[in-house]
Amino acid sequence: MIDIVVNWRRPLAFVLAAAFVCASQFHAGDALAQSGALAEKIQLCSACHGEDGNSKLEKIPSLAGQPAFYTLNQLFLMREGVRKVEAMAPIVKDLKDDDLTNLSQHFAALAPKRSDEAVDAALAKKGAEIATQRRCSSCHLPSLAGQEQMPRLARQRIDYLVETLKSYRDSPRPGADTAMSAAIAGATDADLTALAHYAASL
Amino acid sequence: MPIGGCDDARLRTGGHLSETLAKEDQPVATLGAALGRNGRELPHQGEACMSLSTSYRRGLIAAGSFAFLIAAAGPIAAQPGFSPMDKSNPAASKQDGNLKPHPTPPIAPSADKLPLDKIKLPSGFKAELWSSGHPGGRTMVMGDKGTMFMGTRVIGRVYAVTEKGGKREAKVLLQGLTQPNGLAFKDGSLYVFAINKVYRYDKIEDNLDKAPEPVELTANYNLPDTVHHNWKYVAIGPDGKMYVQVGSNCNICEINPGVHGQIRRYNLDGTGMEIVARGIRNTVGFDWHPVTKELWFTDNGRDWAGNAGPEDELNRIPKNMEGGNFGFPYCHAMGTPDPDVKRPNPCAGVIMPAALTGPHSAGLGIKFYTGDMFPKQYKNVAFIARHGSWNREQKYGYDVVMAKVAGGKATIAPFLQGLLNTEKNEFYGRPSYVFQMKDGSMLVSDETNGAVYRISYGEKK
Repeated sequence: MIDIVVNWRRPLAFVLAAAFVCASQFHAGDALAQSGALAEKIQLCSACHGEDGNSKLEKIPSLAGQPAFYTLNQLFLMREGVRKVEAMAPIVKDLKDDDLTNLSQHFAALAPKRSDEAVDAALAKKGAEIATQRRCSSCHLPSLAGQEQMPRLARQRIDYLVETLKSYRDSPRPGADTAMSAAIAGATDADLTALAHYAASL
Repeated sequence: MPIGGCDDARLRTGGHLSETLAKEDQPVATLGAALGRNGRELPHQGEACMSLSTSYRRGLIAAGSFAFLIAAAGPIAAQPGFSPMDKSNPAASKQDGNLKPHPTPPIAPSADKLPLDKIKLPSGFKAELWSSGHPGGRTMVMGDKGTMFMGTRVIGRVYAVTEKGGKREAKVLLQGLTQPNGLAFKDGSLYVFAINKVYRYDKIEDNLDKAPEPVELTANYNLPDTVHHNWKYVAIGPDGKMYVQVGSNCNICEINPGVHGQIRRYNLDGTGMEIVARGIRNTVGFDWHPVTKELWFTDNGRDWAGNAGPEDELNRIPKNMEGGNFGFPYCHAMGTPDPDVKRPNPCAGVIMPAALTGPHSAGLGIKFYTGDMFPKQYKNVAFIARHGSWNREQKYGYDVVMAKVAGGKATIAPFLQGLLNTEKNEFYGRPSYVFQMKDGSMLVSDETNGAVYRISYGEKK
């Protein structure tokens, strides 16, 4: 398809390399295609996103506690090619609708934990103010736990959040309500970093 | 970034689109005089420029330090909007802060789980399932050979619904597009408008198994690069031109009226752009009155200004008032000044709606009925699919209403109901677009359920 918006416009080599390395341990998409067992699929996801759904890898998002609808939506959009994430493409391509539903529900039930990234208290405070100005809570809830199609931001990895917020601002990431690009319009890099520290601190 | 003067880049849009701003107390009367050709910018009128600058400055003062942030962030500074910063104030609206848009499921329920039995219609009408299994299907256009094409939003697909051996089959024709809501069909070609991308698929109905490489028309149409409210609705008018929605890039903000909040028309290849209406928040449905040939369009009112509204609008562009101003962001509904974006005489020169269509009801598709199947009092009545509210504590809409037109105004009456349970405050479906079939029956798409219902009259149950 032609209408490809590369949302990881500056995909960091590290991210892809890391993802491919972890994925290859389980023979990437093949394992999923051949295995009907949910447990094996979860194991494949866990290789990068963390055993308990809390990622320890740079710029790889935590999935624990994500609203099931959000994860389902994103898996679907990556499978369809609306949202392009190279590392994920071979992994999601053969997933069936039922797989998407089951995986989403699995990760929604896990407990979100903070990553080991250092949260800067001053930045988090500034981020809280910006979050109020930009009314993040009107969709993501005051706790930033997310709901339905809106992701959990609380306790998400800082590096992932910064990268994602930039992609919404600079090359509007598809597969989300376009309200997100309006919500983040005009924010500076420093604002986005502060927002990420705030969310991670919760 | 210059913010005070008139002679600045805010009124230009990538060297392509330009417009002389009308005096505020009168709508632009003629297009030819108002628009530059081929990207030549015409001199601005002094008065209009001054008052615009004034309101712009006020916006900036209100936004305070954001002006600096906007200037500092590269990509946004290059955007043509007057103020990309949303100015809505949910706290002042006193609405439940947890209200949020309803998601569209990417997986549709099976045919036996559809809410067909909940649908209520006037006596003599009947609803039946026409097609299902096309998650997120919204807009409908039909090819000359009977293929129904359906556009979607987030899901990124265009479906082709065909009939084989008496059974209807929905297949994914295109996927991976960014919100391809805008579809049009002409001379064997399907036009697909995704957000800021335009493609034409020639001889599409002969190639439904594998869509041919499209002709890309994006550069010709040169639509603004903002995404919010820019999933497209398009339709080919009685004049053979392509009419294209360009929404306002925020819930409520100071838009550049030369760029956002418009309906435009183009030659089919994307040349010859003209602005036919402006000051529109977001229309995602329009049709032409069968007799007067005037363009009627739905317009979704702003959010976070209270549960009561401002109400959505049904508008018409009166003859000789093309290019006219419909009020956004300063003036809503039948003359309600905006609480967050203010200026003196906010409604001066604004063309008032033909009818109000309810608070947050989200009127999308509109179709004037010209068939012979329905009783004759339905002739030339506009059917409007109301997608249903999200920014309202007590849900509203989720139905199809009729607009009975008389003398340029319209009265709204219920038609298809039952998909909203007001007691439980829950909904079972979201009517999105209406389509009139050759036999005079009417199709209603339900985005949430990935289904299309056929409404007929006088047929056996």
